[in-house]
Amino acid sequence: MQQKEDWRLTERILHEVGRGDPFAAAIRGTRMPMVITDPRQRDNPIVFANEAFQDLCGYARDEIIGRNCRFLQGPDTDRDAVARLRDAIRAEEPINVDLLNYRRDGSTFWNALYVSPVRSEDGEIQFYFASQMDVTHRVEAQDTIAAQKADIEEQVRRRTADLEAALETKTLLLHEVDHRVKNNLTMVGSLLRLQARAIPDRSLRTTLETMLERVDALATVHRRLYQNRDIHRFDAGAFAHDLTSDILAGTGRDDIVLETDVASVEIRAADATALGLILNELVVNAVRHAFADDRPGTLALKVYRDGETGRIELRDDGPGFDVDAAEGGTIGRTLVARLSRQLRAETVWRNANPGTCVLMSFPVAT
Amino acid sequence: MKDKRLPHPPLRVLIVEDEALLAMDIEAIVADCGHDVVAEAASLVEVGALHGLAPPDLAFVDIQLAEGSNGLDVAALIRRQWTDTAVVFVTANPKKVPDDFAGAYGIIPKPFSRSGLMAAMRYIEEGLCDPPPVSQPPRSFLTSPAVRADWAAAGG
Repeated sequence: MQQKEDWRLTERILHEVGRGDPFAAAIRGTRMPMVITDPRQRDNPIVFANEAFQDLCGYARDEIIGRNCRFLQGPDTDRDAVARLRDAIRAEEPINVDLLNYRRDGSTFWNALYVSPVRSEDGEIQFYFASQMDVTHRVEAQDTIAAQKADIEEQVRRRTADLEAALETKTLLLHEVDHRVKNNLTMVGSLLRLQARAIPDRSLRTTLETMLERVDALATVHRRLYQNRDIHRFDAGAFAHDLTSDILAGTGRDDIVLETDVASVEIRAADATALGLILNELVVNAVRHAFADDRPGTLALKVYRDGETGRIELRDDGPGFDVDAAEGGTIGRTLVARLSRQLRAETVWRNANPGTCVLMSFPVAT
Repeated sequence: MKDKRLPHPPLRVLIVEDEALLAMDIEAIVADCGHDVVAEAASLVEVGALHGLAPPDLAFVDIQLAEGSNGLDVAALIRRQWTDTAVVFVTANPKKVPDDFAGAYGIIPKPFSRSGLMAAMRYIEEGLCDPPPVSQPPRSFLTSPAVRADWAAAGG
C-alpha cells in the first residue's frame, strides 16, 4: 500500500518536471539520502523519503511521511543554522547548511543539508527537494583541526612571550656590557693621558702619546659599534670620517684642510677594531710627515666601494717620501702590516707627486 | 636669551663626574685648552653645596653619578643655581638624554679621545663666546637642537 502511494507520488512529481521513470528509479535507489516535502500541505510535511534516508536516520518510512523535517533536530542543533534554513524556505530560495541531526536511537550526525524548491512551469512552488549527507567525519576533523590550531597558537603565543622576554634581557645585557666597555676604554685613555703628562722625558712622552692615540682610535670604534640596528655590521666610511676629523682637530692645527668624499661602506663588526687601528696609523703618519714643521696643506679622504672590496684612500700634498725606504721599521708599520693581513686587507703607499697616496683595500661585509 | 652677556675666554668650567680618573683627565684637557676648572663635584648634593660659587660659564656633567644621582637632575639644579651656565652632558649612553637634550647645550659621547674633547672644547668656546661657531662641528660633540636653532636665527 505504502509502496504504491510512493509510486503515484513520484509519477506525479516526475510528470510535472517532465521526466520519465529512469529518474524516479534513480532517486529511489541512490545512496544519497533524499526527501521531498509538500509546502502546499500544512507544516510542509515530508511526502517522500528514499531508503538511503531511512538508513541514515534509522526511522521507518511510515514514521517519516507526514512529518516536518524538524523532527531530526535535537537539543544541540545550532539554532542559528535552523533559522537560516527556515528563512530560506520562507524566501523560497535554495540553501546549503550543516545541521547536527538526531537518529531514532538518539545518536547524532552532522548533516550537510541541501534544500531547493521545485517549481512548476508557471513558477509556483510544487515541492521542496532535500538531499542529506552524513558529514560527521568532515565536521569532526574540522573541529579537531580547529582545536589543534588553537592549541598551537597558544603554544606559539607563550613561546613568543618567552622569546621576547629573553630578547629583552639580552638587549639590556648588551647595553650594560657596551656601557661598561665604553667606560673602561675611557678610563684606560684617561690613565694613559694622566701618565703622559707626568713624564718629563720628551721621547718617552711621545711614545706614550702614540699609544694613547691608538687607544683613542679603539674608543672611536667603540662609540660607533652597536649604533646600527644590525650589530654585526660597521660603517667604515662614517668611522673613517670621524677618526680623521678627530685626529686633525686634536692637532689643534687649522692650516690642514680636510677634504672628504665618503660613501657608506659596511664591514663586519668583528673587523672594526683592526681597521680602526690601521687607519689611525695612516692618518697620524700623514699628519706627522706630510705636514711637519707647520707646513700647511690638504688631506683628502676618500672612502668608496668597488664591488666586494672597500677602499679607503688617503692623499696628502706634502713633500712625498721614499716608498721603498718607508717599508718596515717602526711599530706603526708593523701594526699596519700585521693587521692588514688579519683583515685580508692590502695597504699600498705610492708617491702621488705631489705628496703621498695610501690606498687600503679590504673585504666588505657580505 | 638674546641679550645674554657673552662670556670671554678663559671660560670658567665646572666638572661633575664621579669617576676621579675621568674628572682629572677632563680637568687636564680643559686646562690644555686654556680654560679654568673652577670646581669639581661627584654628585647632585655636591653640586648643591657649590651654590655660593660665582657662576661657571660651562659645566661638563656625567649622566650616571655618585650616590645614585642623575646628570639630568644636576642639569636642572645648575640652571636654578646659576641660570646662564651651559651644560654639556658627557655620557656613554647618549640615547638616555631626551630629544630636547633636557635644556642642555650639547653632548660629548664617551669614550672621548683627547683630540675629540679638545675639538669639542674649541667648538663650545666659539659657540659660547662668539656665536655661531666658525669651526666645523666636530664629530665628538652633539649640539642641542635649541642651540642650533638660535644660531640659525642669529645667522639670518
